[in-house]
Amino acid sequence: MADEFIKGLGIFTGAGLAWMVLAGWYRTSSFESSQQLVEPVSLSDSATMFDTLGVLLMDVFFWFAIIGALTFWVGIPAVRQAREALEERVQ
Amino acid sequence: MTDEDTNTDDVRTDGSGIVAPDDETPTWRERKERTEGLSRLTYEYFERARREDQDLRQESDYVERDVLAFPTWPHEIIRNLAIASFFVGMLLFLSATLPPHIGAPANPSSTPAIILPDWYLYWSFGLLKLGPLNPELSILGGQKLMADRTYGVLANLVVVGIVAIVPFLNKGSARRPVEQPFWAAVGVGGVIFAFTISVYSAKNLIPMNVDLLFDLTFLLPIVGGFVTWAVLKTMREGYMYDLNRRYYRLRPPK
Repeated sequence: MADEFIKGLGIFTGAGLAWMVLAGWYRTSSFESSQQLVEPVSLSDSATMFDTLGVLLMDVFFWFAIIGALTFWVGIPAVRQAREALEERVQ
Repeated sequence: MTDEDTNTDDVRTDGSGIVAPDDETPTWRERKERTEGLSRLTYEYFERARREDQDLRQESDYVERDVLAFPTWPHEIIRNLAIASFFVGMLLFLSATLPPHIGAPANPSSTPAIILPDWYLYWSFGLLKLGPLNPELSILGGQKLMADRTYGVLANLVVVGIVAIVPFLNKGSARRPVEQPFWAAVGVGGVIFAFTISVYSAKNLIPMNVDLLFDLTFLLPIVGGFVTWAVLKTMREGYMYDLNRRYYRLRPPK
């Protein structure tokens, strides 16, 4: 269980850090505003392919942080519990 | 052989005579090598020191820590280096990827709309705003004994004084909250009060009636403390029960 916890925590913090950096680049007009990291995406006209890639990766990291952590903290333990319960019921 | 040394219990720690370790008796060749000159002096010196150390360890209730811990190098140094490297790397990464905007210089001729200290001083700032608690004494004709700002400073002195007294109190041998439900509840109430008074210090932080917020500032710690006390009081019965059961399982009553 501890292994699953640290896996989920690693995913959550690592992907969350990457998302925070990208959101700080593309969704933050000012660090003194009250809408940091969640503003609508603002890409300038001179945006390169890397900027588009960054915006895409931002969403990827965001959902990876949430779904990855939920998988290891909720999904896999729930599956294991269900499997154990099923085996007990068979016996 | 050294029959006198092995038979007598008293240990000669004055350096006279060669005292061999208990489990290793020196050979005749080793004895001869140590019987004269500098070699004898050196041997006696170190042997005396070793024997004194051994006797001290045997006589004292000193617990050998060597088997219970690890040497500082490499274990703790490596660990501390890893932790320090992580945080330094995190600082470098964040400062490289998210450099903060450097704002316009402060204008000393205009008062900012919101005046707040750093967040860790919010509690002290909140204690300065206890004006509604400052009683209007009828004996003074409805006047207050002291100004509201004086009252706030006094509140700071009281709170800081209480916290400063804590290290000098005898807190007993209890190490778990369940063993002292009341004082644990007092502590939880204090933590909650530190939070609520911080929230109260910035009066517009929570969109709520300020009077209600003021009341909640003092009621929530009491409620939280009471809940803690009730929970711990309930837990303690089970806790003591488990302890007793384990104790009597180990040592059945006669």
